[in-house]
Amino acid sequence: MNTVARALHIEPAEFRERNFLHTGDTTATGQTIRQPLNLPALQNRALTHAGYFEKKARFRAENRSALIKKGIGFATFFHGAGFTGSGERYLQSVVTLSVDSKGRVEILSSMTEMGQGTNTVLTQVAAETLRIPYEWVSIPRPDTSRVPNSGPTVASRTSMIIGKLIENASIDLKEKLRLPPDYSTAQFVEACASHAPLEVSAQYQEPEAIFWDDQKYRGDAYGAYSWAVYVAEVSVDTLTGEIHVDRFTALQEVGRVLHPLLAAGQIEGGVLQGVGFALYEKVVFRDGAMVNNQMTNYIVPTSMDVPVIDVLFEEIPYEHGALGAKGIGELPMDGPAPAILNAVEDALGIAFNHVPLLPEDVLFAERRVA
Amino acid sequence: MAETPISITVDGKLETIRVPAMKRLLDVLREDLHLVGTKEGCGEGECGACSVILDGELVNSCLVPAKQADGSRIETIEGLAQSSQLHSIQQAFAETGAAQCGICTPGMIMAACALLARNAHPSSSEIREGLAGNICRCTGYQKIFDAVERASRANA
Repeated sequence: MNTVARALHIEPAEFRERNFLHTGDTTATGQTIRQPLNLPALQNRALTHAGYFEKKARFRAENRSALIKKGIGFATFFHGAGFTGSGERYLQSVVTLSVDSKGRVEILSSMTEMGQGTNTVLTQVAAETLRIPYEWVSIPRPDTSRVPNSGPTVASRTSMIIGKLIENASIDLKEKLRLPPDYSTAQFVEACASHAPLEVSAQYQEPEAIFWDDQKYRGDAYGAYSWAVYVAEVSVDTLTGEIHVDRFTALQEVGRVLHPLLAAGQIEGGVLQGVGFALYEKVVFRDGAMVNNQMTNYIVPTSMDVPVIDVLFEEIPYEHGALGAKGIGELPMDGPAPAILNAVEDALGIAFNHVPLLPEDVLFAERRVA
Repeated sequence: MAETPISITVDGKLETIRVPAMKRLLDVLREDLHLVGTKEGCGEGECGACSVILDGELVNSCLVPAKQADGSRIETIEGLAQSSQLHSIQQAFAETGAAQCGICTPGMIMAACALLARNAHPSSSEIREGLAGNICRCTGYQKIFDAVERASRANA
């Protein structure tokens, strides 16, 4: 994007803004953006938060006499949530809620907790929809002899797709328990005493508005997209070629944020992994095998490499996601590398188009330019 | 392999066992003493998942031969909580969301313990340095820094 912007003599932020998708626009696969989308506002908020224009000017002035040059760059991007194309339609994921006569609810799904917070968030969806305490909801391990097939725990789909099924099953359960609107927890327990034990299931049904044509390979590539603007500030040591990311702004619109602490944890972790992909993690293959498959020679970011990361959210509820949520897991890994490479370009005046960008790449490029 | 007697005090309890002299302290803890809270990550001293405190020093237990630990005092993650009362650092990790997959967590908490033992109120750069030998792939470290800061405030 920056290369094209430069060739056209248009400022990078302005160039992106002129080409942004808007609500009602059509993507490359012929998908019409139906959700509210205001990318100029998103980009503006991120750049303002990061002090982008002010820092760009200041770094340019300071860099003239500096051995360690600073730069600032950004990336505006999106990530589709849920399976691509007709994946969710074919999967037809199922979840089951099982309630006993004391009002204790079990969520049966094949979603796997691996630290990302799935069990917390799915518990939240059921408890909030059923208006009962979180402690009354439990999630047994995803043993396939017990749980239905809800598909794999991938594709930024768990909260959005499976969470929505849990929300739908919870609504169905309330009906089966013949609960009045605005019921109390005591009324919930009473209803369970008369109608439970009870099981209800919900199965994924593609919303009518979402369709992917497998024959023409066109249509809605994803049910929803999360949108983000990431801004990176770097220091580049022109003697050693070392790059350090000093500050990072990560602003995203991921629908409703179900659990702010866990959501921020997903973003921070994803951003740092993205920093690793951008600057350190070079996979070296020889004779078909990875030769640097040890932590000694495959370098991942440590606590010394992590920038200060400001995580910001814009919340626009998504109707087909659990309580308004969209996907979040993969998004933060898309933005850091382009933002960092743009920041390095800003610092050195040299454009790079590969990752990871290692110190030797910087030194060779400096020599070529000199 | 020939075995040799060693005596180590683990979390305040004296243990005398016979093990191969070069058996890794990590394996002595996990296999002989069944203290499986200490994790193996890389097994080559890079990741810090196996961190324990040996005579007051933070060490990678995968790099310590059993014989070298003979006569020492070792603190592991299992020794931190008192019955059901979490240690202030464990509590802070839980409250700030500093653990995700959990493999780095025991070692990270031991590193935080070692840091706060020698510096009760570290600055943010001292926290970063204090945890530099412990790799976390999930959290991006921010919430771990928050946890250590919170625990250091609890020290006040």
